[in-house]
Amino acid sequence: MSNYHLETKDINVWFGERHVLKDVNLQFPNNKVTALIGPSGCGKSTFIRTLNRMHELIPSAGLAGEVLLDGKDIYGEAVDPVDVRIRVGMVFQKPNPFPTMSIKDNVMSGIKLSGITRSDTADLVEVSLKRAAMWNEVKDRLSDPAVSLSGGQQQRLCIARSLAMNPDVLLMDEPCSALDPGSTRRIEETILELKENVTIVIVTHNMQQAQRISDQTAFFLAEDNTPGYVVEFGETQQIFYGPIDPRTNEYVNGRFG
Amino acid sequence: MSKATFVARPKRAEPWTRLGSKVRLASLLTILVPASIFALFLFLTGTDFMAGLVTVFLPLQLLFGAWAGFYAFGKRGILDGLLLVITFFLAFFVLVMLASVLWSVIEAGFRAMSPHFIYQNNVYVSGKTGLEIGGAGHAIVGTSIVVGITSLVTVPLGVATAVYLTETRDFGRGTVRTLLQAMSAIPSVVAGLFIYSLLIISGWSGYSGLMGALALIPLMLPTVSRVAEESLRNVSRDLRNGALALGAPSYRAFLMVTLPAAQSGLVTAILLGIARVIGETAPLLLTMALANGTNANPLEGGMTTLPSYIFSFIALGDPSSIARAWGAALVLLIFVGLLFAAARVASAPKKVKKRSA
Repeated sequence: MSNYHLETKDINVWFGERHVLKDVNLQFPNNKVTALIGPSGCGKSTFIRTLNRMHELIPSAGLAGEVLLDGKDIYGEAVDPVDVRIRVGMVFQKPNPFPTMSIKDNVMSGIKLSGITRSDTADLVEVSLKRAAMWNEVKDRLSDPAVSLSGGQQQRLCIARSLAMNPDVLLMDEPCSALDPGSTRRIEETILELKENVTIVIVTHNMQQAQRISDQTAFFLAEDNTPGYVVEFGETQQIFYGPIDPRTNEYVNGRFG
Repeated sequence: MSKATFVARPKRAEPWTRLGSKVRLASLLTILVPASIFALFLFLTGTDFMAGLVTVFLPLQLLFGAWAGFYAFGKRGILDGLLLVITFFLAFFVLVMLASVLWSVIEAGFRAMSPHFIYQNNVYVSGKTGLEIGGAGHAIVGTSIVVGITSLVTVPLGVATAVYLTETRDFGRGTVRTLLQAMSAIPSVVAGLFIYSLLIISGWSGYSGLMGALALIPLMLPTVSRVAEESLRNVSRDLRNGALALGAPSYRAFLMVTLPAAQSGLVTAILLGIARVIGETAPLLLTMALANGTNANPLEGGMTTLPSYIFSFIALGDPSSIARAWGAALVLLIFVGLLFAAARVASAPKKVKKRSA
């Protein structure tokens, strides 16, 4: 068994004939935030989707390599993707609360959708919304439709929805890209609190954000028509202040990408 | 710069709806003048209304519309005025036609209407019988049963087809879609002939309501599944992914997220499907042996539906028969109206309570 909570070994990804990710080896230790950075189209989002088996929902998707969650390959034989996704939650770029449900029902939706039974559902709504730092804003309107919330609140509701499942790992695919600075700050604060209990992987285009919240950073790059790969992976401080690869240096200092 | 002046407005004012005196004057003239001139023209010359409407009123109205547009908004208003006039003219034209169809059904249908027209059947009625006995009760029962059976089979099947087309891997999808398209092109009488030759001539079954329903199923299925497919496809992928990422098995993600989001579209699919078959006559003539008596057993014996009832009475040609046909048309109209209203009420999005705490 490895020392890492989540670990990828030689992940390669294809869409049809197109090879989009090559030999990605990353390690995500317990209770650390890992930022994935890199220019658009380098495969960060594709990579993060392989970590909870959302990748396979895209027609023509292909994959090689292993994703080890507590030492066990999530792509192993007879592993149910449903069990993987219950343990590895995901927050998407665009807030996607369920429009037919109220705020309260959205928080509880994971429990109902996955059909798992848990004993601690009584104050799950309150606990989850508190963890997502939005309980005070919505506690008086829990039965309102989720779409009546603002964009930032909707995104935090989606985080609360994922947290209600009590996941071991939380994947976030540019969770703040559609939000204003205020909402972004609150989500960042939430992330820093969450890492006490959850291993977090976040894709971001915001260099400052990566520096503020992450413990380690991976820089992805895809050069013209070649598959994306990890140029450099290490402690966030090192990536930003002492990168080994010149391309990393150029990217984090905003000279290309 | 002078000090900014504020227009005092009441709360919730809608300043964008205030048109200004120029526009109001132009609109008023455009509405009143051509209509008055046309009325005067008709009164003086005695021209046929419809002929005058197209040759005198429409050009006049267009002219005024263009002028009003120019007067109010300048050059760019001309086209606007012309299009507005054309749009309104065509809209009124269609509305008047629709209203006149409805009105003639109501007017002519009312003559046959009476309580016994709703519940009595046709057993002692011939072409010469007066309107004081006989009714379309058996046809109402027949329509309910036949359309009911058809929907009972087609709605689950059609929605399931749509689910297959939208929610699964794409194995055989193209084939299914092509087949559906081909099905929607089947002339209804052919569907009737198919059941007639396959099941009735062969002696497997007599004429019955079930045979009628079987003939209607292939007509209703493509409508239901195509419209249902469209409404399921409109549910965004983000929502499905959101549900799946929470660890939902795909059937639960479908039942709890996709289906509720597509609900009103699915109701429309069902209604359009019912509308497709509720007026069918030809396939039923071949499969149900239009009966005069009330028969609630779809497995045995002839049956009739409202459109078939209309068909057979129009064919008789006596004044009282034609009145009965109109009456049945009115009943069909009310029947469809009630059905659709009920479906709309049932599928209306639930009002979410404001402020629960």
